[in-house]
Amino acid sequence: MIYDCVIIGGGLAGLTCGIRCAEEGLRTVVISGGMNSLHFSSGSIDLAGFTENGTIVKKPFDYIKSIAAKKKDHPYSRVGIPMIRKSLDFFTERVSDEGITLNRNSDYNHFHVTAIGAVKPTYLSQESVFSSRGKDLIKSGVKIAILNFKGFRDYYPEQTAANLKRHPLFKNSELIMGDISLPYYLHTEKNLHEFRSTDIARIFETERYLPRIADEITRAAGDAEAVSLPAFIGINNYKDIRNKLEAMTGKFIYEIPTLPPSILGLRIDHAVKNSFFKHGGEYIAGEKIESSVINKGIVESIITGSRGTSSEIKAKYYVLASGSFFSGGLQSGVSSISEPVFNLKVKGDSKRNRWYSWNFFDKKSHPFLSYGVETDSNLNPSTQDGKTLKNLFCAGSVLSGYNPVKEGCGGGVAISTGYKCAERIIREIKK
Amino acid sequence: MIKLENISFDHCIKCTVCTIYCPVAQATHLFPGPKQSGPDAERLRIKNPELVDASLKYCTNCKRCEIACPSDVKIAEIIQNAKWKYVKVHWFRPRDFFMSRTDLVGGLATIFSGLTNFIINLKIMKVLMHLFLKIPYRRSFPAYQRGTFTRLYKKKLQKSQKGFQKRAVFFHGCFVNYNNHSLGEDLIKVMNALGYGVDIVKEKCCGVPLIANGYIEKAKKNAQYNIESLGKTGDSVIVSTSSSCSFALMHEYPSFLELDNSSYIDRLDYITKFIYDEFTAGNIPPMKPVGIRAAYHSPCHLERMGGVIYTLGVLKMIPGLDLVVLNSECCGIAGTYGFKSENYEISQGVGQNLFRLIEKAEPEFVVTDCETCTMQIEMNTRYKVLHPVTLIAMALEEKNEGKR
Repeated sequence: MIYDCVIIGGGLAGLTCGIRCAEEGLRTVVISGGMNSLHFSSGSIDLAGFTENGTIVKKPFDYIKSIAAKKKDHPYSRVGIPMIRKSLDFFTERVSDEGITLNRNSDYNHFHVTAIGAVKPTYLSQESVFSSRGKDLIKSGVKIAILNFKGFRDYYPEQTAANLKRHPLFKNSELIMGDISLPYYLHTEKNLHEFRSTDIARIFETERYLPRIADEITRAAGDAEAVSLPAFIGINNYKDIRNKLEAMTGKFIYEIPTLPPSILGLRIDHAVKNSFFKHGGEYIAGEKIESSVINKGIVESIITGSRGTSSEIKAKYYVLASGSFFSGGLQSGVSSISEPVFNLKVKGDSKRNRWYSWNFFDKKSHPFLSYGVETDSNLNPSTQDGKTLKNLFCAGSVLSGYNPVKEGCGGGVAISTGYKCAERIIREIKK
Repeated sequence: MIKLENISFDHCIKCTVCTIYCPVAQATHLFPGPKQSGPDAERLRIKNPELVDASLKYCTNCKRCEIACPSDVKIAEIIQNAKWKYVKVHWFRPRDFFMSRTDLVGGLATIFSGLTNFIINLKIMKVLMHLFLKIPYRRSFPAYQRGTFTRLYKKKLQKSQKGFQKRAVFFHGCFVNYNNHSLGEDLIKVMNALGYGVDIVKEKCCGVPLIANGYIEKAKKNAQYNIESLGKTGDSVIVSTSSSCSFALMHEYPSFLELDNSSYIDRLDYITKFIYDEFTAGNIPPMKPVGIRAAYHSPCHLERMGGVIYTLGVLKMIPGLDLVVLNSECCGIAGTYGFKSENYEISQGVGQNLFRLIEKAEPEFVVTDCETCTMQIEMNTRYKVLHPVTLIAMALEEKNEGKR
């Protein structure tokens, strides 16, 4: 019983790789410990947001071209522009098959508003965040109502308004704020403050509440043409709900991501997983990979280990998409950085005080963010003694050579490296 | 005092992912969700036990929160602990007493199984139980079989097990013992095909229903009994066909009941993991195509153990099995939880998604590892539910008969 491909890590990188492998008919399993970071993400996919010195990138592919010349070990340089483009198209298509449309501003970045009202560049966004209609409305300087669900503690419209007012994009717009109260389930003992975004999303998903919600929006927004809501207008059929609300209120509805759980991210997570299942992939949640067996430059098996007896899982090819420090893909000791499953060669400083900057918001960011596994141009990593592992590929934030926060490129790297791993494996197996 | 090993709540970063995936929080607003009831409230409870709220009782201990948690917080364990440490929930105790004593009730019921099954399915009896025992009228009960599996084994099956050199101890659990002898027989058939003779040792209920109903001391006693009994089984492997029993024997004993199970832990496996390892090592008995379309439902506790991969691995080895893997959803019964009137609506509400998925898949059978999931699915859909072991036994059948 040997898998064609075992992917360690069920995030954006692992699942993109998984979908591609599964749809080629490879027997693919994704092993995941705990839910992925899409649950805390904005739900927009960043490709390249900021340059080395912190200025905003307008055309991400131009920027990627420029770093390819300078930084050979950047994951984008490993993947190459044609495949990055292909991977993003692939991702957009698969997610769209599952009902989530991702819009892009042709080859340019567009802006999205974050949970605290910062305006940031990104590349792919859901319709409620970026669309040509929204773009035109904001350009024309319409009146915008920034609304919240009364009592909701994971979002503050005042903060959003204060930040937006300082941004040139909104200099012509009049911004007003307001609260809507929602009809919620009867007999609830729950305090309004206890509602999280998912609870509210479920109220939006209850069809019969929609007319009342629409009335509330109309009341609170007054004559504003555009309305922004914290992102909670439904998880599974948000498109339909949004269309209905827009029709009922006659207003344009924009979504702003909230503090976790982020519904915008959740939608992408569900879409990607559904696509993976649909193509026949197996997804194992809550399993931890403890170690691996490596023999002569080949990974022979990985060892699962919850307490009790451990078990070997064998595959022809392995993909390590286990994430960075938070997800346990990388570990930090007192003065060392390591990768726990295969003990791969890792790029990082051994002097602990060089890992970070004393200033949390340092413009140069923190060095540890670019630490990770070193790979060759095929995304094959190597062991501590320098032997390349031919049947192991690495994808996503376990990789070194880039800084997802400073460069604003986490999503793009995850998707493109995940895709490249899949392409490599497919090619090897079909040989 | 705070016990140092029990501070996993400190790893919680408040991402609330657990609450998204909590089946109970999805079905009712009465439960504030695992994050709030678990790690959040635990800080308060440590300071002042009075700060406990009664909504803890809605937790079914399905452990989906722990599967979802990216920071490895033992959320369900925190809630279970708090439930019985701080809250004196005055539930209807006589019912809970009998419901959690599966050995006692099962032992009695199997003596007059025909009569028992007749009586508990009488409408008048159901009404009475609904009124006086607060057991929901609409809930159907598993049928009891005549006699216990242990007796059947001693009388009929034991003899045939002598010829095997490799030995496996079968922890049959209450369901096989009182309700489903044929699963036990299937297990023996499969183990024999793999070259193992099956032994049975003395055992008591693993303790899962006792823990769920707050009889922690009694659960500890049972656990100690089982640890002693299983500890004396030399070096034979130990298998169980119940995902929840396995989970208790492996994980709940050391971490929740704080008992040392090291005497057998290295030898114990949930059955599909054992079979998976045998299959992987090349020990695959000949199987004929079964020609069945089945939908697989993964039970919560098996997911928590990380066991689904092995069940799927084994099922995919059965020739002629057209397998639809259902999206992971809780069935809602959660052991004894769904057998209580106060939980019935929530329990059914939680299961709706799964029932819909099953109907959509249009299988011939549903396959699952857990006995209470089986009851819930059989009650709410039109399908019969099979255990993976039964499917393997079905695949083996003809071959063995041919030999004879």
